[in-house]
Amino acid sequence: MEKNFLQSSIKDSLFTGLIALALFGPIIGLRTVAQNEILVVQPKWLLVIFIVAICAVGRFLINLYTFNRDQKAGHQSSIGKSIGNFLDTKGTQIAISAIIFSIIFPFLPFTDRYLMDIGIMMLTYIMLGWGLNIVIGLAGLLDLGYVAFYAVGAYSYALFAIHFGWSFWICLPIAGIFAAMFGVLLGFPVLRLRGDYLAIVTLAFGEMIRILLLNWYELTKGPDGLTGIPRPSFFGLPFKSFPEEGEQTFHTFFGLEYSPMQRIIFLYYLILVLALITNLFTIKIRRLPIGRAWEALREDEIACKSLGVNPRNTKLTAFAIGAMFGGFAGSFFATRQAFISPESFTFIESAIIVAIVVLGGMGSQTGVVLSTIFLIGLIEVFRDFESYRMIAFGGAMVLIMIFRPRGILATRKPTITLEKKKG
Amino acid sequence: MAIKLLDVENLTMKFEGLVAIDNLSFSANKDQITSIIGPNGAGKTTVFNCLTGFYKATAGSMFLNKENEKLNLRKFSDYRVAQRAGVARTFQNIRLFPQMSVLENMMVAQHNKLMDASGFTLLGLFNSPSFVKKEKEAVEISKYWLDIIGLTHRADDDAGDLPYGDQRKLEIVRAMCINPNLLCLDEPAAGLNAKESAELNKLLLFIKNKKKTGILLIEHDMSVVMEISDHVVVLNYGKKIFEGTSQETKKSPEVIEAYLGTDE
Amino acid sequence: MDLAYFLQQLINGVTLGSVYGLIAIGYTMVYGIIGMINFAHGDIFMVGAFVALISFILFALTSIALPVVLLLTLLIAMVFTACYGWTVEKLAYKPLRKSFRLAPLISALGMSIVLQNYVQAAQGARIKTLQPVIQGGFTFMEETGFTVSLSYLQVFIVLVTIFLMAIFTLLITRTALGRAQRACEQDRTMTALMGINVDRTISITFIIGSSLASVAGMMFVMYYGVIDFYIGFLAGIKAFTAAVLGGIGSIPGAMLGGLLIGLIEVFWSGYISIEYKDIAAFTVLVVVLIFFPTGFLGKPDIEKV
Ligand SMILES: Nc1ncnc2c1ncn2[C@@H]1O[C@H](COP(=O)(O)OP(=O)(O)OP(=O)(O)O)[C@@H](O)[C@H]1O
Ligand SMILES: [Mg+2]
Repeated sequence: MEKNFLQSSIKDSLFTGLIALALFGPIIGLRTVAQNEILVVQPKWLLVIFIVAICAVGRFLINLYTFNRDQKAGHQSSIGKSIGNFLDTKGTQIAISAIIFSIIFPFLPFTDRYLMDIGIMMLTYIMLGWGLNIVIGLAGLLDLGYVAFYAVGAYSYALFAIHFGWSFWICLPIAGIFAAMFGVLLGFPVLRLRGDYLAIVTLAFGEMIRILLLNWYELTKGPDGLTGIPRPSFFGLPFKSFPEEGEQTFHTFFGLEYSPMQRIIFLYYLILVLALITNLFTIKIRRLPIGRAWEALREDEIACKSLGVNPRNTKLTAFAIGAMFGGFAGSFFATRQAFISPESFTFIESAIIVAIVVLGGMGSQTGVVLSTIFLIGLIEVFRDFESYRMIAFGGAMVLIMIFRPRGILATRKPTITLEKKKG
Repeated sequence: MAIKLLDVENLTMKFEGLVAIDNLSFSANKDQITSIIGPNGAGKTTVFNCLTGFYKATAGSMFLNKENEKLNLRKFSDYRVAQRAGVARTFQNIRLFPQMSVLENMMVAQHNKLMDASGFTLLGLFNSPSFVKKEKEAVEISKYWLDIIGLTHRADDDAGDLPYGDQRKLEIVRAMCINPNLLCLDEPAAGLNAKESAELNKLLLFIKNKKKTGILLIEHDMSVVMEISDHVVVLNYGKKIFEGTSQETKKSPEVIEAYLGTDE
Repeated sequence: MDLAYFLQQLINGVTLGSVYGLIAIGYTMVYGIIGMINFAHGDIFMVGAFVALISFILFALTSIALPVVLLLTLLIAMVFTACYGWTVEKLAYKPLRKSFRLAPLISALGMSIVLQNYVQAAQGARIKTLQPVIQGGFTFMEETGFTVSLSYLQVFIVLVTIFLMAIFTLLITRTALGRAQRACEQDRTMTALMGINVDRTISITFIIGSSLASVAGMMFVMYYGVIDFYIGFLAGIKAFTAAVLGGIGSIPGAMLGGLLIGLIEVFWSGYISIEYKDIAAFTVLVVVLIFFPTGFLGKPDIEKV
């Protein structure tokens, strides 16, 4: 029996090696490069042999491992499970320490310009993740075009700020409302579609917006993008090193030395506040009838209908509110960058935000934070390996679906409880 | 003396050539349990789906007498049947919200009322007293029903974690939370043991007698049907083959033939 | 001149439509059998295009006759790309058959990102240009001032497409494999109980879909002469649109939808606006899904309650 097993698993790993050879042989082994405008093939057989060997040996080891595990049946203590359980029970504590950490973060001794930029970027993604969590996590609508609302927010903010010179605090709500309106406009016809069709239609919509931004030159300057978007001011006090005659700036008003970090720190707190507002809003609305109806729709739409819940309106509100927060985040993005172009709003951005929500655990607010730190951290650490990091990223999505389909934080707390009498 | 609640006339439903319901007419009275029985595939569930707006009937009419109004059910599509006409239903394969708690299941059933009270969410966001009060009431109603089926102690557990029999009962009281005029139950006794079945009978009689709600019941379990129904409609291949009291049904040769087949 | 221009667009549209149709078959078959949108299918097509490209470059160094090169490249592309389809199904979809309904779609999305970036890493991000493989063609209506041309390449593309379509339609309607596939579409559990190997049937479906997509990839690289790792995204969406337009689950529908999408795209760019040509496909997708979700040859889909 032992021998039989060995034989079959050797056969199996040889087969794996053969498949690996077929997969990687041409694409990796025969790299096409242009020489004098003509493509030639550059063989890389060593690499292919190496990869094929890894696949075959890896397969063999996995076979051995699963065989041994099956022999010791019943003994199951996976590390992943215990981490999951730990996170499931300690959700609140983690959340509180994270908030405290993020408040003092700009003043920590090791915090420099680079870390601040990463912090701001992560908070932006966390906010987008929280916004999309309403749509995907709570209402169960797979929206693959979320970046469109981010773009609508960014462009409407930029256009209003540039052309009318309105301040950040006026343009921000306008951008949010615009994005929400787009959400309703799109949602109205498409929200009765089945889950997977909805995903494709939202994806198409996201691309349409991008193509429109690329080609509507008079309004958006096409691929050149919009420049000179006004920077935010601290309640009217701009961040400038050389104020004009008689002008109050942030540093003169507070009697500080000018430093470019002041603006960065302000932007950091701005996005922190925006993100926390998104979070508080979501936590609150989840406990209201509409929030419960979202989750009920995610669980079983037919049952919802049988109880008189209007699925279309319920989904529409989720869509619009999610879009609104996307729009807010877009405004922030525009004012932070002072420059936006359609390049920032590609499909891959949507995919990243979807991955954040899915990995975090659908509907879990803390999960979004953890998965943002993980995924954006991953992307950042490997920033010099453009395509490898995206391979890891896509692979992570597949692995999560297979091994922990409900995300890192899988438990869900009821939105309302019956106080139990203790005794 | 009996007040007519539901009036179905010449109902027909076709699926690409297959006639699932063929020219069916029957009526159901208020404060009564009307059973629809028939062999597998007879079209019973399809009748429910037409009534509750999940399928659009090919032909025929369905009217519901609500207080002094006569409502044409064919005009309503899915969720409006429950919302406007107060026709609640359960499903042959239980459809709870499995990852939500038992209490949350009951609260979703009171959605429309609570939605109004929360001022379409705006008042709710700011904890307006009127909303808080309405929400408390809704919890009380949920608790009332959970007490009746003895599930109060599990109110905060996931509905999907309940034992099968409790899930069945929960689905029924959840439907009662919309305060229906007519309650349609699709094989509620399927998969229950004898004790649970008896409890179910009690629950249904309670709903009929104390809540004055008309019940339309699809059931295979003849002990349930014969014990509690006031009126029986027998379907076979989409056609009504018999209608009468449970005693009459038991003796009817057509019904026996449909169930056991003929000897020829 | 107007008629000539119209005819030219028609020829180009039919050619492009053949390519979309071949990809669409993969979408439609997979959707039919396991009810998921194989989001990575567009990238399988892209891999096929790369395999064909590499094969053409290698054969260019030899002195093998053109028809043999074409045939060998076709076979090579089909075999190697089929391996990708098979592996993707095994790794990313099979473990998810019983998972929640959006899981396979998310997994497919991840797989699509993996494939794109893998090809980018292995082959570089630059555009790849292939010298024309088949040159020359027929020209008509020269006297009108606007020449209509029908290249040999276009004839080749359409003929190969028709040939493959015929073979695979026969395969699916006449053989045990086809019956097994249709049985799986109806009810997978029952089919398994009847002793049909469901896993194998699904695998074969992916293999067929991928090899047809690779043929489309080969046509694409010959027709346009340029490819990069990103071509699968747009082509995939357009082919999916074609599958829905034709009626998802129906193979003749996929071909018909492909033709229509090809024609719409070409006529839109020819008569309306070339910048917005991709918008045309997206608009068709949105409109069809919303108002006409069963497509031309699809079955009506009443949700069973
Ligand atoms: N959506 C649908 N599309 C096609 N045919 C359907 C659909 N729904 C029901 N049918 C058919 O209508 C007929 C009646 O089905 P129905 O579910 O109403 O039977 P039933 O009496 O409830 O049977 P059971 O006792 O097994 O629940 C069956 O032949 C079924 O296949
Ligand atoms: Mg039934």
